[in-house]
Amino acid sequence: MYKNDSVLPFFGLLFAVALWMMAYFDGQHLAMLLGHAPEELSGGQIGLITFGAVFFIYGVMGYVSYWLEGEELRPGRHEASNSLWAGVAIVLLLILLVALAGVFTQTIIYWSTEGPVSTGFAGRLAGYILLDMAAILVVFKKYFVAEVVVAEDEHSEVPW
Amino acid sequence: MYRWFDERLSLSRFNKKFLNKAFAVHHSYFIGEIALFAFITLVITGIFLTFNYEPSIRTVKVAGKAVSAAYASVLYIDSLPFGRVLRSVHHWSASIMIAAAFIHLLRVLVSGAYKRPREINWFIGLLLLVVAIVTSFTGYSLPFDAFSATATSIGYGIGTSIPYVGEWISQIIFGGEFPTLHSIPRVYALHVLWFPLILMAILGMHMLVMVKQKHTQPNYARKVAPGRILGVPLMPQQAYMSTVLFLLYLAVVFFIAGAYIAHPIEVYGPPTASTPAVKPDWYLIWVYGILQIIPGDLKIPLPFGAVMNSEFIGSILVPGILGLAAVLLPFLDTRSTKMRYMELPTKHPVRTGVTFALLAFLITTTLAGWKQELGLSAGQLWFIILGSSLLTYLVVYYAIIFFWGRPSKEDAGAV
Repeated sequence: MYKNDSVLPFFGLLFAVALWMMAYFDGQHLAMLLGHAPEELSGGQIGLITFGAVFFIYGVMGYVSYWLEGEELRPGRHEASNSLWAGVAIVLLLILLVALAGVFTQTIIYWSTEGPVSTGFAGRLAGYILLDMAAILVVFKKYFVAEVVVAEDEHSEVPW
Repeated sequence: MYRWFDERLSLSRFNKKFLNKAFAVHHSYFIGEIALFAFITLVITGIFLTFNYEPSIRTVKVAGKAVSAAYASVLYIDSLPFGRVLRSVHHWSASIMIAAAFIHLLRVLVSGAYKRPREINWFIGLLLLVVAIVTSFTGYSLPFDAFSATATSIGYGIGTSIPYVGEWISQIIFGGEFPTLHSIPRVYALHVLWFPLILMAILGMHMLVMVKQKHTQPNYARKVAPGRILGVPLMPQQAYMSTVLFLLYLAVVFFIAGAYIAHPIEVYGPPTASTPAVKPDWYLIWVYGILQIIPGDLKIPLPFGAVMNSEFIGSILVPGILGLAAVLLPFLDTRSTKMRYMELPTKHPVRTGVTFALLAFLITTTLAGWKQELGLSAGQLWFIILGSSLLTYLVVYYAIIFFWGRPSKEDAGAV
């Protein structure tokens, strides 16, 4: 709560892993050891995975914020450190994005014409596309967007 | 083109005033944003679902089997390309919205951000959590599978248990005694129109008040820019961060939703006379757990022939008391100055201890939902619930004192 550090995001990720493991061992893994194929998640497992997902997103985003915005803000304009390698990384990520979008389109066409595709595969594909887009934005902001920090009057006229 | 609009709408003036608005930076603010993005995802995926869903329990034939039209239409959604994944994303997003709103509420609680002048937003946030849970619950009945029919009938029973007005309220929500022909259309209208509209209105108010009053800031800002809002402008910095968060949120949810279909109606099947009783979804299991450990035949008579039965006490009275305590919390703080900076939980051992004790209470009452599977008696579970809550408070309180020392007089006086 003192500054934008990486301590709580670290614990966020730790909790995410712990909750995920609890959900995994709560039924799925044990059922498989017993020779059963569990067909659905229990309410408890859904709860554990849900909190795990929230902590995971929070933890990753906390680290992203720590990397992009730093621990403490200082008023003023801080120019971005333009980097050739960052530009190359963005181009590569864009090529990957086009490739993944192509595979996704083909998957949907296959699903429509030939029959169902594994939901796990389709979900992962959509997830990779979204992650790739997020990564492009992160790299672009870090290396090509100047950081402006303002110290606004707390009685500003926004929104009234 | 921009100039054309600018000449007519003074956009540059709007940009100067609103898009430069300072947003304080702290990772804990992302939790509230996760709840917001979950809601946006729910609306988008919900629109897709409404295009294909039929809110009716008239009987239709699917592969020679008689099922309700609602159930058949969800089977149809699952058969569409990517349809099953999108329905699963909708389901997971509902869960994540509730979880994120709850953790956000805990963050506000442990950092003292509910204090003057933010009491109004604390009340709005509490209301938001309750409406989100009710909205999510109304979505349960819609697929009309074995799980949803039994879970919704439990909700109907809880509604009717409210003294004097329960029967009336339940029949308005469910269009008569659940399940009738009118139940699904009625709940559908509530789930896709009225509750989302109410949620949008409350969310809008929540954010408007937040923008007006500003975030409580990280403590270091007190030294860097005292009395001012230290932050980054909405455009472009804050917009970049929010977009990254939304994309990351969607990526994680698509991964999970594809791997785990949260509500596989093909597995549950349509409701039958022999459908077993089921547990509610995770965010209501703690209520179900309380119902498991209070006597089922408990009845407290009220004037004019009404009674408070165990269903009402366990599922409405106890959560209601907790809600009332949360509403009264800001009034325990009698400061006359404005709260500008987040408080450190380690400087408020009582409040932090109570927050963790509340968590222990919710976790152990949730465990009580598995009373039969655990093979424990109601007395043993009461001992575990009360004992672990008390023990958690003491451990957290003394751990803070041991590691961070006693709070100063000024901090100790504030709750």
